[in-house]
Amino acid sequence: MSDSVLDRADLGATAADWVALLKPRVVSLVVFTGAIGLVIAPVHINPVLALTAILCIAVGAGASGAINMWYDRDIDLIMQRTRSRPIPMGRISPAGALGFGVVLAVLSVMVMAMATNLIAATVLAVSICFYVFVYTMWLKRRTPQNIVIGGAAGAFPAVIGWAAATGSITALPILLFAIVFFWTPPHFWSLSLFASGDYERAGVPMLPVVKGARYTRWCIVIYTLLLVPLTLAPYAMGLLGPIYGATALVLGLGFIFQSWRVLRDDQDAQGLSRTQNAPARAAFKYSILYLFVLFAAAAVDRLV
Amino acid sequence: MRDRMPVTQVEENHWTPEERAEFSRRRKGRNFLLLGVLGGFCVLIYAIALVKLHEYGQMW
Repeated sequence: MSDSVLDRADLGATAADWVALLKPRVVSLVVFTGAIGLVIAPVHINPVLALTAILCIAVGAGASGAINMWYDRDIDLIMQRTRSRPIPMGRISPAGALGFGVVLAVLSVMVMAMATNLIAATVLAVSICFYVFVYTMWLKRRTPQNIVIGGAAGAFPAVIGWAAATGSITALPILLFAIVFFWTPPHFWSLSLFASGDYERAGVPMLPVVKGARYTRWCIVIYTLLLVPLTLAPYAMGLLGPIYGATALVLGLGFIFQSWRVLRDDQDAQGLSRTQNAPARAAFKYSILYLFVLFAAAAVDRLV
Repeated sequence: MRDRMPVTQVEENHWTPEERAEFSRRRKGRNFLLLGVLGGFCVLIYAIALVKLHEYGQMW
């Protein structure tokens, strides 16, 4: 079959288009942090209920992504990175995407309440509302601090996982929340350094667009320096053991090194990179690995 | 009207066999996905009910 037919939007959406609405790559990180919250909780939970809780976290996050794509369909059409999403491509209607997202969001909260407890369901509902109303609708197009405050939305899953197992929220899940919260700015600003042209065209006030690349580089370093001591807090407070503590220290030093390279990148007077932002790209990749390994270390520490 | 569902079947009579086959393939894929999701949801609710009733003696 010719490519022109396969690309035709008026022939309807594929099953993969509906799955793409859920932002599967974002969901994978959310599922991971949520599962870690469940694993490190000091309470046994039935595996069926644990898997249901993880599924609800994934579906809730995916639903937020679908609603986000509905709201951002105008700027998604402008940005190179998002132009091939199902709504800008015309394969799924905006109304269809909104309905899909809302139904999944409601179902995920209801099933979470039924399978686990009301605290976990409430935090899940808050995280969905936060992402949709606070980040997507309020902050994203208004302030360069959008991902600093909006980062809270991605920090909830570990708390939800913990709450699903224990029915409570204590110091450790709050620390995990804070770690993801402080991790988000250097992660996203590294991305926005090499994708700022896209954001500028779409009128999204990302930090490099509004304050410039040099200011953003300094912010990445500052937030990384705030993040690293925070990641050591669970060990210092005796909530997690030496495996986690050593991993957090080594990973943290690596992250500081990466952010220092972003700051010292070969650049012009405005702070624009002459190396096609190679250090920022490396820091972005490292930040993803960093969070995965850090949280995995927390789980290993608890299980060993 | 652009915000409503995409108009797919209106043009069906003018489609080439290749286009009609692609349309059918996509519709089949969507239907199987929906079948899987609905079936999975039923199994999930059943499993949750079994576990909750067995372990706690009540659903809530």
